[in-house]
Amino acid sequence: MGPIAPDRWTGVLLRCYPPAFRARFETGMRDALAHDYAAAQARGTLALAGFCILSFADAVRFGLAERRPRRSGGFSMSSLFAVDVRDALRSLRATPVVTLIAIASLALGIGANTALFSILNSLVIKTLPVRDPARLVVLDDGSWTNPIWEQIRDRRQQIVEDAFAWSATRMNLSPRGETDYVEGAWASGGMFKVLGVQAAVGRVFTEADDVRGGGPDGPVAVVSHGFWQRRLGGGADVVGRKLTVDGIPVTVIGVMPREFFGLDVGRTADIVVPIGALANDPVQARMLTGRSTWWLEVMARLRPEQTIGDANAALERMRPAIREATLPENWPAEGLKQYMTTPLTFRAASTGESGLRASYLTPLKIVLGVVAAVLVIASANLANLLLARAVSRRHEMAVRLALGASRFRLAKQLLAESAIVAGAGAVLGLVVARWAGALLVRQLATPGRGVTLDLSLDWRVMAFTIGVAAAAALLFGTAPAFGVSRISPQHALKDRSRTVTGERAFGLRNVLVAVQVALSLALVVGAALFVRTLTALTSAPLGFDAGPLLVVNVDAGSRITGRDSRLTAFENLRQAVAAVPGVASASLSVLTPIGSARWNTEIEPTPFTSGLTRRQRAPWVNIVSPGWFGTYGMRLLEGRDFDARDARGGERVVVVNLAFAHRFFPDGRALGEIVRTSLAGPPPALAYRIVGIVNDSVYTSPRAGFAPIVYAPLSQLEDPSGDIVITARAASGEPDALSRDVSPTVARAEPRVTFTIRALSSSVRASVRQERLVAMLGGFFGALALALAAIGLYGVASHSVNQRRAEIGLRMALGANPAGVVHLVLSRLGMLLAVGVMAGLALSWWAVRLVDTLVFGMQPRDPFTFVAAAAVLMGAGLLAGWIPARRASRIDPVRVLREA
Amino acid sequence: MDMSEPLKPAALHILLALADGERHGYAIMQAAREQSRGAVPMRTGSFYRHLSQLIDAGWVAEAAGPRDDDPRRGTYYRLTPRGRDALRAERARLVTLLDAFPGGRRAARKA
Repeated sequence: MGPIAPDRWTGVLLRCYPPAFRARFETGMRDALAHDYAAAQARGTLALAGFCILSFADAVRFGLAERRPRRSGGFSMSSLFAVDVRDALRSLRATPVVTLIAIASLALGIGANTALFSILNSLVIKTLPVRDPARLVVLDDGSWTNPIWEQIRDRRQQIVEDAFAWSATRMNLSPRGETDYVEGAWASGGMFKVLGVQAAVGRVFTEADDVRGGGPDGPVAVVSHGFWQRRLGGGADVVGRKLTVDGIPVTVIGVMPREFFGLDVGRTADIVVPIGALANDPVQARMLTGRSTWWLEVMARLRPEQTIGDANAALERMRPAIREATLPENWPAEGLKQYMTTPLTFRAASTGESGLRASYLTPLKIVLGVVAAVLVIASANLANLLLARAVSRRHEMAVRLALGASRFRLAKQLLAESAIVAGAGAVLGLVVARWAGALLVRQLATPGRGVTLDLSLDWRVMAFTIGVAAAAALLFGTAPAFGVSRISPQHALKDRSRTVTGERAFGLRNVLVAVQVALSLALVVGAALFVRTLTALTSAPLGFDAGPLLVVNVDAGSRITGRDSRLTAFENLRQAVAAVPGVASASLSVLTPIGSARWNTEIEPTPFTSGLTRRQRAPWVNIVSPGWFGTYGMRLLEGRDFDARDARGGERVVVVNLAFAHRFFPDGRALGEIVRTSLAGPPPALAYRIVGIVNDSVYTSPRAGFAPIVYAPLSQLEDPSGDIVITARAASGEPDALSRDVSPTVARAEPRVTFTIRALSSSVRASVRQERLVAMLGGFFGALALALAAIGLYGVASHSVNQRRAEIGLRMALGANPAGVVHLVLSRLGMLLAVGVMAGLALSWWAVRLVDTLVFGMQPRDPFTFVAAAAVLMGAGLLAGWIPARRASRIDPVRVLREA
Repeated sequence: MDMSEPLKPAALHILLALADGERHGYAIMQAAREQSRGAVPMRTGSFYRHLSQLIDAGWVAEAAGPRDDDPRRGTYYRLTPRGRDALRAERARLVTLLDAFPGGRRAARKA
């Protein structure tokens, strides 16, 4: 799509005109603008940008003029304001380079701010696109079992107006073979009624459809507008289409409205299926009855006059009955007591839920802070630029003052210039924001899970952009305007003022530059911390070789049941994959390192571990086949790997890692010892003998590092689920080429399963994507801030050299040598730099508290980073100052003195 | 609007574009651009400002336009008799001006 839809853009332009004028000419103007827009577009982006800026300036100029009562005979531009705007445009055109730099840097700054804000807006601020979202609440905190939901459902009329439950998840549309995941949700029948969402096509499901096994139409599904267009052809024949969702056949009965994305901000639910449909699959039916299966979220709508407090009180009265009826089986007494007494509370949910929000809110806020600082730096640069111009226009101003112009008139003209620059910057900033926002959202996506955020310009984003532009204009526009008030008309009577006195040491320009240096230093420190964090994370040892590994996630679901037939099918698949040419070895495990699933087990305390907390006594668990450690390139340090001896019914054995050995046994002497735990089944705890010790490895993420892990053999697992992971090691070290051959092999060897193939290294990369994003943005804006600060310093040095030409010429005539002149210029600049750097170090020292949680592998107040950043800034600053200083040293004293 | 003063270039071009008959807004702009070979900047903002002033002066008026025309083009405009007078007056003024040039028409006739 184009940068901004011409229609919308034209609409904004036309707002500048008074209603009477619009009523008369709107259609014609739209027509003309659309034609010229298309013509400009055909000539390229630059021409289009120029056209947009000119048209915008025109609209402001003529729109404001039209709003003024016209004088008699009024074909001449009579209004003073219009004159200001015209003069301002004229003087901006007179210095095109300065104007373009000003507009471009503002557009970049405003664009970056708007992009970040529009993401935060859609992630955090915007309410759900449903009826009266302010009355929606969710049951705090996290997920609930279906039995609990059914208890609440049956009592909901006594608690709130209405309620429903849902669970957002990936859904597999492929009946067999390679998986085809889309984002979807299971939801109770009342969802659409409670939210007040109507179908765009067909009908939405109701409580009548949400019964075990399906209602009158059998199991049904409602699809999103996007999915309907993308995958189902977008026709009216969509109603009645058959789909397979996680192995359950469903019939499409309707399409959701375009603006409704579900309840999870950032992830569009493409398919919503009533939870009752789960009863059609024997394995998944357990989701409906499981009293320890926590997977549903509960949302309620308050009655019109009801507060959250009222609803909570009503819910608390029901709690004992709800809890009593849903007590989980096989829980220890302590857990049950806690279960009974934990209160149930609602919290506000008008903006929906979002996993994306949870993981990206802090980084996005920090980046918003960074881009705000960049905008301040850019504005300070503009202020300096305009101040410099105001100084060189002192003569003009003085003449006009002498001829009777009021200071107010002159200040107004300068303000008009800043307003036009800021306006053009804001318009282009919106274009930048569209582009940058889309780019950023793409970065938030993970492999296999896209992110959809609605970044359209609503009134909040527009208000933000206008506010930012106005603030920037005030920041860089008032300084030169105030400067006018210091000019005296006598200047006009004298010749161009050539003074031998220096400028004031703490003039406004110097303060601005010091502020720029300080802010840039803080940004450079931040960028260095983020980049070093990313480096530390990507170079952190994993404990296994991710590079050559190809991971096949297999789901046998309910199509292969029974312990032995499952294990046999898994082993057959493993052998088939191992036989693929290019596969060095293949083995099975229940979980993948750095995967989303986790499993831990509490080890019964011994005298040695009695001092540990329960959490410290709970190592991670994985269930693996013989050879798994070899496939992952892990080293067996003591003892043996699993083998044929470890059969069902034999002695229960485990292999542990070094961290486990050292946590649970003195000096890590774990080999041959017994640990007691209920590893893979309900209590009571059983005895497991440690037969091997392997090296440490990462379980959840590189950031979490090494942790104690206990491995048990697949052959001794009593009740294997339908999910298994086959890991294949590529002999060549390049797993991507293998997946082409592995996929048909798996499909042929076991047609009943569905599976997903990916390289393990992609998960490793994905595990640091948040850090990568922050490092990328921090690095980019840090460099930008550094460059802007250097330009600012250059400007100040260069200006001061121009001002002091006479003085420097005189000094040289009196015998000063060039080195002395360079020193003269640089020493002043050095003072400025030093002040800025000191302030910047103090600012960074304070500000790192905010990024504490994002830094990894070093102290946030890392002395090396601080010193290096200060050195970089000093270096860049002195380099920027050296250029004008050298120019000063080449001043020809004879010429300067002759000019006198 | 005063007929004794010279017309602004933009106003002159708008009147000229309407001399042949009625046109809609964008057609007037295009005609003016062509007549002046781009010398008179004719952007939408300034064009409509000039147009509104010409209408207020009673030199240009709205016209009905062809019946089956695309409604997105907006209103058609035509010259009023006063507008035609103004154009004629401008022409006379320009001719006088041209004649005054050394080597102008009168000078050429004398030679």
